[in-house]
Amino acid sequence: MSGGPKGGGGPLLAWACIMLALGAMLAIWSEGDASSLLFLVGAIPLLALSGWNRARPAPGGPRLLARVSVPVVVTALGATLAAIGLTGGLWLILVGGEVALFGLVWLAREVTLERRGVGR
Amino acid sequence: MAGSAPVAVDADRGAALERGFAWLAATDHKKTAAKVGIASLFFFGLSGLLALTMRAELAQPGLQFVSDHTYDELFTMHGSGMIYLFLTPAALGLGLYLVPLQIGASEIAAPRLALFGFWIYLAGGLTMYSGFFTNSGAGDDSWTATIPLSNSTGSPGVGMDLWVIGVALAVLGSLLIGICILLTILRLRAPGMTMLRMPVFSWTMLATVFMVVASFPVLVVAMGLLLAERHLGGVFTGSTGSIVYQHLFWFYGHPVVYVMFFPFVGAVGEAVATFSRKRFFGYRALVVSLLFFTALSMAVWGHHMFITGAVRNQYYSLTSQLLAVPAGIEYLDLIATMIGGAIVFRAPMLFALGFILQFLLGGLTGIILASPPLDYHVNGSYFVVAHFHYTLFAGSLFGLLAGLHFWFPKATGAMLRERLAKVSFWVLMVGANLTFFPMFFLGYDGMPRRVPDYEPRLGDLNLLATIGAGVIALGVLLVLINLFVSLRRREPAGNDPWGAQTLEWWTTSPPPRDNFTSLPEITSYAPLLDRLEAAEEERERRGAEVPA
Amino acid sequence: MADTRGDFSEVWALYLWIGVGVAVVVFVAVGFALVRYRARPGRRPSRVAERNALELGVATLILAIVALLVFRTFHTEAEEDNSSRADAVRIDVDAFQWGWKFTYPGQGVTVVGNSNREPSFAVPAGRPIAFTLTSSDVIHAFWVPGQRFKRAAIPGRVNHFDMEFDDRGREQGLCSEFCGLRHSAMRFGVWVLSDGSYERWLAAHR
Repeated sequence: MSGGPKGGGGPLLAWACIMLALGAMLAIWSEGDASSLLFLVGAIPLLALSGWNRARPAPGGPRLLARVSVPVVVTALGATLAAIGLTGGLWLILVGGEVALFGLVWLAREVTLERRGVGR
Repeated sequence: MAGSAPVAVDADRGAALERGFAWLAATDHKKTAAKVGIASLFFFGLSGLLALTMRAELAQPGLQFVSDHTYDELFTMHGSGMIYLFLTPAALGLGLYLVPLQIGASEIAAPRLALFGFWIYLAGGLTMYSGFFTNSGAGDDSWTATIPLSNSTGSPGVGMDLWVIGVALAVLGSLLIGICILLTILRLRAPGMTMLRMPVFSWTMLATVFMVVASFPVLVVAMGLLLAERHLGGVFTGSTGSIVYQHLFWFYGHPVVYVMFFPFVGAVGEAVATFSRKRFFGYRALVVSLLFFTALSMAVWGHHMFITGAVRNQYYSLTSQLLAVPAGIEYLDLIATMIGGAIVFRAPMLFALGFILQFLLGGLTGIILASPPLDYHVNGSYFVVAHFHYTLFAGSLFGLLAGLHFWFPKATGAMLRERLAKVSFWVLMVGANLTFFPMFFLGYDGMPRRVPDYEPRLGDLNLLATIGAGVIALGVLLVLINLFVSLRRREPAGNDPWGAQTLEWWTTSPPPRDNFTSLPEITSYAPLLDRLEAAEEERERRGAEVPA
Repeated sequence: MADTRGDFSEVWALYLWIGVGVAVVVFVAVGFALVRYRARPGRRPSRVAERNALELGVATLILAIVALLVFRTFHTEAEEDNSSRADAVRIDVDAFQWGWKFTYPGQGVTVVGNSNREPSFAVPAGRPIAFTLTSSDVIHAFWVPGQRFKRAAIPGRVNHFDMEFDDRGREQGLCSEFCGLRHSAMRFGVWVLSDGSYERWLAAHR
């Protein structure tokens, strides 16, 4: 029961390269318009991801999975309140931030306890 | 020799608090995907009602039911709701559900992140719609919110702010779900599942999430900058400010329509193969064309800006028209899959055929729009409205329905009512064409978009379109009734009611929590069909050996 | 060349007929497949799943069609981008929420109107008109459907384009870029007049 097939980064690499080519083509055709830089938004993460995937292949084998994670929901709620606070006022940003922070701390605790629970 | 099933280990979940919240906070990708599906259906319903209101107003010239301002809110929230809150999340939700099952994984990668993404998306959608309850009303500057109209002078009020924040959250949530799908495909394929043995649908999902990762962050940034512009000013300044905004917006705004297309062409591909009793034709050509199609689709956004005179029209016209090449390959593959097959006309196949024929009209009119001299006439008119409703409604939504009817038995263990499904298909087909085909003529004849009123001479075609919208509503109702009835009085589906080809049909319906208790050997992108064909060959061989 | 209507029609015809042709081919192919390859008792589906020569052939054919369309488009676009002739009539257009201002520089004529009172400006038939276009507030668009042409009116930016109006009479114009509350009422008229009538119109509006 070893890990799955290695690699898989090929398509990411290929796609990132096509993006760079299209971006270069626009840069030349538009005589250096800054909009051609937008192609890097996808190309860079995908190149990085394919490199990382090669360097650290998936270990395979059993995965430790939580079935329920309430702190995730709490964090999402906090983040939303903070985002709405950008228009509703500083008080809401603070409230949302506190809730999100509480959620993150709870999440960290949840994850730590899980790992301890299975002896990692 | 069968492969071994992926194994997951439960983290201890003893706390009583969590039992009550189990479903809302569950991390199982199938449950998260179900939540995404239900939320997107809810927003589809809301946004659809807005569309019916718009069509009621447009049935006759003059203003009968709503004011100018209300109409602006209607079309803004209809478009925003359908794109940000329905079809994009539904496309990603379909992938969230199916990709682990198709590639033999027990769970998505980073299930907590996917759960977080769902909640952010739902929160974003509710935030957007909450604008209706404010004094200034909901967002009212179309789904694109062009600067300068969308700044605090052009669109004052907290309702528009809530729209901007809501859109950013909804798109961020979708982005996070997309990232999980990408990581899953990259790292959690079962032994034997090489990239070139991934099923057609999973390949379309991979191509989709490339676009998600490459473009969705830009929209989140654009909305952040728009919010800053509204509250601080000085962001989109000078003679180029509005153009900069358009670049940022459309860099996302174009790929997103392909995010709302590719998963559904994948669903159609699976359905066509299954109901033609053949494996999908031209798999390698499909893979290559998917990579080129999705990469190219990142390079066409300037075609939304042809009339500004601020972009290099020729580059964008070239890239936009080149899309016809990979699109043509995909159509070739779909048709060649049918040819030589033994076609069975079950409901998913009907919806798939509807997608194939109707999306074509949307795609071909897209090629027309890709020519600036032609765009100079029909841009900003109902011709464009017709074009994108053919691709997104008559195309993608039919593809979604093909996928829904195909995979509903797998997800629920119950069959949908076949006759009702077929009736709903025909009703929707009539409705879609009745509503949107006249719009090509309305646009060509001079009716602009985003207007509650128009010249009296355009009244007849508008009335026809409104009647069509009523027919669509009936068709949607029939689908909803089918869902309801099929879940109340269940017809058991079994593992594989269709005689399908890919791994998700190997496991039970619905799948167990960890998806598989065993896996067959993975020998191609249609492992179950491989087994069937091998068994047939074995039988024939044995039959030939029997002495006369 | 400022014959926007003629330019449009030529390109439109090519795209429309090729589009119709492709649609017919696909519909017929699908129809053929559905009829000929319906499941029948004893029908064994073929196992052919790949024909790369076919894929390459179809891709090449589509690429050739696209090349044809692109060349036609580029050719017409280049024509439309050509700079104005010296004898062109000049009109400066300023769009605003929710109306239009038309100025004839050097002629001392300005026409203004809004959604309450639709403005109309005049042009001589058969002569190139060189427009400049800008906006005083948000993005609008100047569209004359009869001329098959529009341009965006962008604050802080001046767009230049030429048009030639051939048929005498009245052309309807409108804003085709959503610009707020009274967008649907932001219309204008174009009087296409003979040279003599045009001169009289100018004199009357000074």
